[in-house]
Amino acid sequence: MEGLVGLGTALMAFMTPVMLMHVAWSTLLGIFVGSLPGLTATMGVALLTTLTYTMERDTAILVLICMYVGAIYGGSRSAILLNIPGTPASAATALDGYPLARQGKAGYAMALATAGSALGTLVGIVLLVLLAPPLADVALSFGSFEYFWLAVFGIVISGQLTGGAHPLKGYIAGILGLGVAMIGSDGIHAHLRFTFDLQPLNGGIGLIPAMVGAFGFAEVLTVMWRRRAEMVEGRAGGDRVLPKFVDLWRYKFTVLRSGVIGTLVGIIPGVGEDIGAWASYAMARRLSREREMFGKGSQEGLTAAETGNSAVVPGALIPALTLAVPGSAPAAVLIAALFLHGIRPGPMIMIEQPDFIYSVAAMLVMATIAIAVFGLSLTRVFVQVLRIPREFLMPVVFTLCVIGPYALTQRLFDVWVMVAFGLIGFVLRQMNYPMAPLVLGIILGDLLDKSLRRGLTLSDGDLSPFFTRPVSAVFCVMVVAVIMFSVPAVRRGLGRLIGRSEAGA
Amino acid sequence: MSLNSPVADKVTAAVLFLLGAGMSWGGFTMDRLEMRDIHPGSIPGLVPIILGMALMGCAVLLFAGARDKSGEVAETGESWRDFAIAAAGSVVYAVAMVGNVPFVVATTIYIAAFVWWFTRPATDEGGGLRRVVIAVGFGAVVSVAISVLFRYGFLVRLP
Repeated sequence: MEGLVGLGTALMAFMTPVMLMHVAWSTLLGIFVGSLPGLTATMGVALLTTLTYTMERDTAILVLICMYVGAIYGGSRSAILLNIPGTPASAATALDGYPLARQGKAGYAMALATAGSALGTLVGIVLLVLLAPPLADVALSFGSFEYFWLAVFGIVISGQLTGGAHPLKGYIAGILGLGVAMIGSDGIHAHLRFTFDLQPLNGGIGLIPAMVGAFGFAEVLTVMWRRRAEMVEGRAGGDRVLPKFVDLWRYKFTVLRSGVIGTLVGIIPGVGEDIGAWASYAMARRLSREREMFGKGSQEGLTAAETGNSAVVPGALIPALTLAVPGSAPAAVLIAALFLHGIRPGPMIMIEQPDFIYSVAAMLVMATIAIAVFGLSLTRVFVQVLRIPREFLMPVVFTLCVIGPYALTQRLFDVWVMVAFGLIGFVLRQMNYPMAPLVLGIILGDLLDKSLRRGLTLSDGDLSPFFTRPVSAVFCVMVVAVIMFSVPAVRRGLGRLIGRSEAGA
Repeated sequence: MSLNSPVADKVTAAVLFLLGAGMSWGGFTMDRLEMRDIHPGSIPGLVPIILGMALMGCAVLLFAGARDKSGEVAETGESWRDFAIAAAGSVVYAVAMVGNVPFVVATTIYIAAFVWWFTRPATDEGGGLRRVVIAVGFGAVVSVAISVLFRYGFLVRLP
């Protein structure tokens, strides 16, 4: 109840004409960014962070959250109309959205996607308000030993889940990210590490230039690398553009389940919206009475995918706010933006700024209302947006990738960092290395480094507290289990074991 | 040409192994700050040593696991020439032009050249002058708009 009162109070505080205007333009921009293949939510939030530097704190965070929510939702547009997910989060949406469009139901598919996204975000917001405060309370009892394992667990689970068939590549990406975080002045003794006497490296590698490079420049290169695809459009006009209440009611359990799955996936460090969508989609398919329709234009499948990816947004903010550990790549940029604007995410947030979590929930509610309004009213406008040629869009995006990081620090060095990460990011992507663990590694590197060394200092070099303290032991077991599960032989053995027990039952 | 092949994985494994070895060696030889009488468990090189060893271990596994991926769906329809031109042009703009040429000029040249090159028709169908005018016009308008936004909107001293 206290959470809902806090949410209501925060919502009232944002109901000013200026704030509503910020919600409108930033959500619209987010949908625009998300709907264009080649522009991702992470890139949008990272670039917009550089533009919010001069804004007042709450306005800046509101604008970034609206961009995030809008971009994740916007990806469904091109997934449905062009069979090209605007963002990776919408890959599952294309499976049923595009067949629906080809059946002449593009407008209705977009309406269902809008409703699914809005409802998914709302489910996530409720869980954010309910789960974040107790999680922050639990995190208050964490010491160096627990934080060390939390950082290790974040890298391992992110590598495992985003690496797909190659979890090893996910782990490598995570270790590379941690390695990048080792550059510069260390967090305990301020000793310079791996700076090679280059003065700009003393402060380390900035997260924003690295992310703009890895997600922005690398994406520009990927788009130009792919040959111009002949986009086969479904019909976008003529049919119904408002969802039928009866359909939404029919899929109420799918929406609720997908919302919960998406939020839980969001809470897992560094996993992200695409996994949320796939997990929700797979579960909906498994439990559906019309599972043969999945992949051929199932309204339930579309609703599950869109609800799942949108619910990840509030879910990803839960660990971001309470542990300073991002649940997704855009949430990682949001953490950097929070620091920029003087907010210190972590367990102390409920003590230092107890209302902030409710403010974030209110921002999410406003963004959700905005996507619902724009999504249902501007269907045909967004179709036109998809016609912008890549040859005109990509140089503009790259110019923003250059000037954005520069604007934050006024250092050309950050532009070079962006370029380096863009080139490395492109190569790594082509080799199937996921980017999320790399980013998570850069963020968690400092936490892992300081926690291990502080822990060893506290225990006078004794390693046993890392394994014997209750929370540490749980984290340790989970880390070992995740790593073991990525070994094919163990996975096969477990599969056989489960199959045998099911057959025996 | 594919970067997702067993050969590429083996080459990457070798590079990663060297990187890991370098990281571990760098951590091992890093100043242990004995002069400041710090606890041996908090030496700055500790985590780089561990990370380097982990990276070497992963590199060995990557090398050992590099196998034929003919069964996997490969990315098709890529153009390495377009990639090379986009990458080279963007790197020259970001590293060589920005900071040495006024931002608005550098950006106009970059965007105009990018648009001009990538909007070229597959066959020479004429209309070259029109393409140049569109590219330069688009480059100039976008460049001025971005420069004004950052210079006067966000008070950034442009490079």
